[in-house]
Order: sequence, then C-alpha cells, then structure tokens
Amino acid sequence: MTLLLIAALFLPLFPLSIVFNGALAQLRKPVAHCVLLLVWPQLGVALLTLASHAVPPYVVPWALLTAGFYALRLLTVRDMGQWAGVLATSALALTWALAAGGADRAELHAFAFWFSLPAALVALLAHPLARRFGAAYAGLQGGLIGSQPRLSGALTLTVLAAVATPPFPGFFALLNLLQKLDLSGAVGVLAIWMIWGWAATKLLQGFIFGAERAVSSGDIGRISSLAYTGLLGVFVIAGLYLTGGGL
Amino acid sequence: MDKLTILLPAMPLLSALLIALLGVRSRRGVARLSVGFAVLTFLLAAASLAFYLVEGQPHWMSLGRGWGSLYLDPLASLMAAMVAGISLVVHVYAVRYMAEEPGYARFYILLDLMAAAILLMVAAGDLVTLLVAWHLIGVLLYFLLGHDAARPAAQRYAFWTFFTYRLGDLPLILAAVLLYQAYGTTSLPALFELIGADPGAHHVVGLPLTTVTAFLVALAAFARSAQFPLHIWLPYTMEGPTPVSALMHAGIVNAGGFIINRFAPVFVHAGEVLHLVFVVGLVTAILGSVLMLMQNDIKKSLGYSTMGQMGFMFVEAGVGAFSLAIYHLIAHGLFKGTLFLGAGSVINNARKHDGVPHDDVYTFVVERKPVAYRLPWVVAAALTVVVPFVILGLSHWLVDDDFVGRQGAIILLFFGWVTGAQLLFVTYRLRAGSPWRLMAMIILSLVIVVAGYTWIGHAFDLFLYPDRAFSDRLYAAASIPLGTFEVLAAILSLAVVGGWAATYYATANGGLRSGEASPLRLALYSLLSREFYVADVYTWLTQAVLGLSRRLNVWLRWV
Repeated sequence: MTLLLIAALFLPLFPLSIVFNGALAQLRKPVAHCVLLLVWPQLGVALLTLASHAVPPYVVPWALLTAGFYALRLLTVRDMGQWAGVLATSALALTWALAAGGADRAELHAFAFWFSLPAALVALLAHPLARRFGAAYAGLQGGLIGSQPRLSGALTLTVLAAVATPPFPGFFALLNLLQKLDLSGAVGVLAIWMIWGWAATKLLQGFIFGAERAVSSGDIGRISSLAYTGLLGVFVIAGLYLTGGGL
Repeated sequence: MDKLTILLPAMPLLSALLIALLGVRSRRGVARLSVGFAVLTFLLAAASLAFYLVEGQPHWMSLGRGWGSLYLDPLASLMAAMVAGISLVVHVYAVRYMAEEPGYARFYILLDLMAAAILLMVAAGDLVTLLVAWHLIGVLLYFLLGHDAARPAAQRYAFWTFFTYRLGDLPLILAAVLLYQAYGTTSLPALFELIGADPGAHHVVGLPLTTVTAFLVALAAFARSAQFPLHIWLPYTMEGPTPVSALMHAGIVNAGGFIINRFAPVFVHAGEVLHLVFVVGLVTAILGSVLMLMQNDIKKSLGYSTMGQMGFMFVEAGVGAFSLAIYHLIAHGLFKGTLFLGAGSVINNARKHDGVPHDDVYTFVVERKPVAYRLPWVVAAALTVVVPFVILGLSHWLVDDDFVGRQGAIILLFFGWVTGAQLLFVTYRLRAGSPWRLMAMIILSLVIVVAGYTWIGHAFDLFLYPDRAFSDRLYAAASIPLGTFEVLAAILSLAVVGGWAATYYATANGGLRSGEASPLRLALYSLLSREFYVADVYTWLTQAVLGLSRRLNVWLRWV
C-alpha cells in the first residue's frame, strides 16, 4: 500500500501532484524540465507494477477527478513550461485508470511515455521562445505564424500531439483506455479530452495567431525544424506500430 | 481496381507532404502540384464509382493492422466522387482567389490534408479509421477557418467551430467504444452483420445497444451538421476564406447526413432515435429559414440557409428516406458551393450597379405594386391545391407504386405539396400580359422539378439501398402509430393553412406596417435578431468555466 502511495506521487494524484508541479516550477533549465517530465512518470509506473496490491477501486474516480481538475486549470495557464506540466499531470493521472483496467507493465510504461514525451517537447520549445521574447507566455507575442513559421509549425504539431490528436499515439492510447472503463468513466475521460483540446486552441491563439508585433526575431533553423518534425514523425510511426491503432 | 481505391485519400496526403517537405516556394509551383493531385484524385474517385457500377459488389480492404481499412460500397464511392469533385473546383478557384494572401503554401497543404481526411472518412472501413478522419476534419477546419491569423474574428469563430466539432466527436467515440466492447470488432461490415443477426443481444444502462449507439451517432451528426442548438458556429464561419466556406458548406457540413447513412444498419433498429432526428431536423429547418430571412449580409444569409437545408436533410433521414438525404446532401452541396464561389462576383457587381431587375417579379414582390389582371380566384385556388397534389402523386406512383404506402413518404409528399401550392399561391397574382401562359409555364416548371426529383431520388434509393426489404424496414422503423400520425398531420395542415390565411390577412391590410409594434412582436424581433440568445448563453458558460479555472489556479498558487 505504501508503494502505491509513493506511486501516486510520481503518477500524480491530487494533492500529491503539487510536488511534481512544484518541482517543475523550481527548475530553470529546459533540459531539466524534459528529463523530469520523461523520467518521473516512468518511476511511478515502475513502483505501481512493483506493488503487490491491485489498484483499489476508489483510485479510479480519484484519478479521473485529478485529471479533470488539472484539465480545468489548464485552460487559464499561459506560461508554456507550466502548461506542459499541468497537461502532463492531467494525462498521467489517467495511468491509474488504465492500471485498474488490467493493463500490463509494458502498456503502462508506453501510456505514460505517449503523454510525457509531447509534454516534454512543449517544455523544450518554451526555451527558444523565452530566449527571443523574455518569456514563453501566451498572448505576450502573438502572430508568430507570420514571422516564425517554422517555430509555429513545430509548436502546433507538438501541442496537437500533447492533446492526443490523431495520428499521434496519445489518441490511440486514449481509445485503448476508454474500452477498459465503464460508461461513466469513459464519459469522464472524454470530457477531459475535450477540455485539453480547448486549452490547446487557447495556447495556440496566444502564440501563433493574432496581429504580428513590430519586433521580430529570427526563426528557428531549418535543421532544428526538420529534427523536430522528424522526431514527431518517428513518434507517430512508433505509436502506430506499438499501439496497433488502439481499441 | 479496388486496390487503387487506397490511393484516394493517399493522393491529397502525398500532395501536402510534397509541398511541405520539398519546401516548394513559388506560388505557381504550389498551385500546379496541388491542383494536379486534385485532378488525379477526382479521376480516381470517378473510376472507383464507375468500377462499383460495373462490378456491383462492395469491397473491404485492410492494411493488415488494427485499423486503416477502407470500405468501398455505394455510399462511399458516391460520396468520394462528390467530395473529390468539389475539392477539385475549390482547388482551382483558390489558385487566383488566394494569390495575394499570405501563407499560400500553408493554405494548400491544409486544403490537401482536409481533402484526404474527408475522403478517408467517407471510405473508412472500420471504427478507428472513421474516428481518426472524423477527428482530423475538425482540427484541420480550425486551421483553415483561422487562415487569416491577424483577424481576431476569424480566430474566434474558428474556435467556435472547433469546440462544437469536438463536442460532436465525443459521442461518436463513445459509440465506437460501446460497439467494440459488445462485439469485439472494429470492422464496419462485420459489425453491421453481427448487429443484423441479433439486434437485441446487448444492452447498455438498460437500453438496447442499438438505440444507445444510434442516439450517440445522431448527437455526433447534430454537432457536425449544425443542428439546433449546436448551429451557432455555422453562420459565423464566413470569416474564413471563401474557398473554405465553399468546401465547408458543400462538403464538410454534410457529414452528419453521411454518418447517419453509414450507420443505417444500426438506425433501422432504433425507431425512437429516428423520431428524435426528425424533430431536431424540423426545428432546425424552421429556425434556420427564419434566421436566413433576418440577415442583411449575403454570406451570413447563405450560412443560415445551409442550416435550414441541413435541417431538411435530417427530416428526410428522420422519416426513413435515407437515400433521399444523400441526394439532398449532394444537390445542396453543388448549388451552395456554386453560390459561395459566386458570392464575390455578386458583391463586386453590386458595387457597380444595383443589379435590381426592374421586371414584373420585382415590382410585385418588392415594390408590392397592384396587379393589373389576375386569374379568377376560384381557378387559382383550384390550381394551387390540386395541381401540386396531382403532379406529386402521379410522379411518385409512376416511379414506385408502393411509395405512398410509407408514412415517411406521405410526409415528404405533404412537404412537396405545401411548397408547390405556396409557389402557385404567390405567383398567381403576378402581373403578366398572359396570366394563363404564365401559369402554364409555372406548372410545367413544377412538373419538371418534381419529376426530376422523383426519378433521381428513386435512382439514388436503388443504388444506395438495393435491398428493397432493408429500405422498407427503414421507413417502418421511422413510422409512428397511425392514429398519432393522422392527428399530427391534421395539426400540421391546420398550421400551414392558418399561416397562409394570416399572410393573406396581413397582406390585405397593408402588411400591418403602420403604427406601433406590439410588445409581443418586439419580443419576437429581439429574440430573432439575437439569434435566440444561443451564442450569448454559450459565451456566458465559457466565461464561467474560465473564471472558475482562473480562481482555482490562484488559490493553488499555480502549482
């Protein structure tokens, strides 16, 4: 039981999730953000599978409430690094519902990875924005699509991947989760998914759309752009291969 | 040939990838590449339809994974040909229309991706492929509608569309999950076969699974096809580029009619849901038409017109005339696409001259000048009532003598009769040198329209649902007890005749244009001019949710 409680720290359930988000807020280096977002949930899955206890039934509603709570909060988060953390908290809490549905260890590790990698990439993209404009803050510098099309493209694709848009693996992972839940649980997950989409449009509207500001900095390089797109392409192919298309 | 069908969604996808990855810079290069692929896609779709007409057997093709299969049946081949055709026209139109806009290559990439997603949706052979395509259409439409990134209005209404579409995605996903949980397969033909073999085998929350699934699919269709009260995004999407408006009103918004037809083997066991579809469609048709008449902006007026037409499409599906809904969808797509693509020229011409045809129709309808001569009213009344009835009855009887035995058909005939009678009722007072000749021409036009509609509608029915027994079962599922049906028909008739009488009374008394308006009329006017306050309610709800989110973040100090 103690292991499950510690796992709830790594696969964040509210209020233990405050530790994860607090740690993210304290870190300044973008690479550290990435590492934390990628490694932290994998530790949680490892602990979860080590625990001899099955996931108690009351954890599923707790996990869904945590996911819903952070999804709701995500709507008004405007700092991109923080946005990645809040979204990851919301998504990773759903791992508990998957575990309660009888998923095996590999499935759980993969589920956590499908959601933590795009979140880590969003956090990484905050870095070039902060370097150019002082902060990666939605609404601070709109209209990037005109002045920085490559950065805008990378940002758009990454955010879409983070909110489980097809053909990114998160979409199929959520389909797989839905078929393991009962009707009320499935409705809850669908509502959370919808709020993620809403939050994604709010974030994108704050960065890539809007009137172009007078001061314009250089775009990210062609190689960085290709590397980002290539990584997302590999992510899609790996997801399709490993999830088999969900359901 | 059927293997080539896989290329249908792949062609536009390849075009988008080539433009993006090769970094095609010149506008001419982008347009040539994209239009070239659009031509190839259309040729493939036409060949695919021809192949089906010759072969006559549906084909199911899979890539061998858990998803990614295509199902080429009459519905898919017909819809693919229509979508590819409209997409080609829009591609060609956009070559010059978008020439001076920023983001030319981005626009064509998105347009190609959208064409690929729609083609994937209509040809999807399994639930997951259908969900992928269904979901992607909403996302791509968001970026297409918001193409002009600098306009806040474009962003605002693109978001409205996106949100409504996401709302509509959820019930479809839930329906897919329930079907998979019950039957253990995602293949659409296999699912429909299993459902047909034992429709009452599974239950969810105490209701038959077929009823729950049909209800969820209907909800998804309502959001996608702008049914009341999920309609508010549609008239405001005019902020997007005109080619996108044309593609949306001619193709994307029709997805609701398509999905209901795709799930016809489920709806045939869910008569109650068909009644709901009928009611929602009827309400939408009436409100859409009323709001269309309130607009003074041609594009917004076209938007509400689409809403009304979508309502009629759902009415047709709700009475069991599924194939007629597809015919309506295609006919509406073609004429609405033409209107949108021509709207710019109309506006441009209107700036040069008013374009008002100072002829008999204008002086009678707009200026309301008295007529010099009219037919004797007894003759006119007889013509008004009898002629449409005879034309409609005869044409349907000639095509299919069993047609009038179906309740749904009676409703459609009734609508046809009301429309025809109204046309004659209005035009018989028209000033003309030879009123008999005018009336003869009107009746001839009516005969051509009705006969054409009847024959084509019947041909669609035979093509899409060659199994006559299944088609009959759809009509039977949509039927209600005879006594209730007769009472409703009587009430509807009285409402129509009452409406005519009220219109005649108002016209005879000078249109009640003088004096102060009554509070009731003012309230009605406010309600209509604010579009039933639906947008206001949504805005209030949105603000409430965002306010709650903000307060939670402040209380928890953003961690």
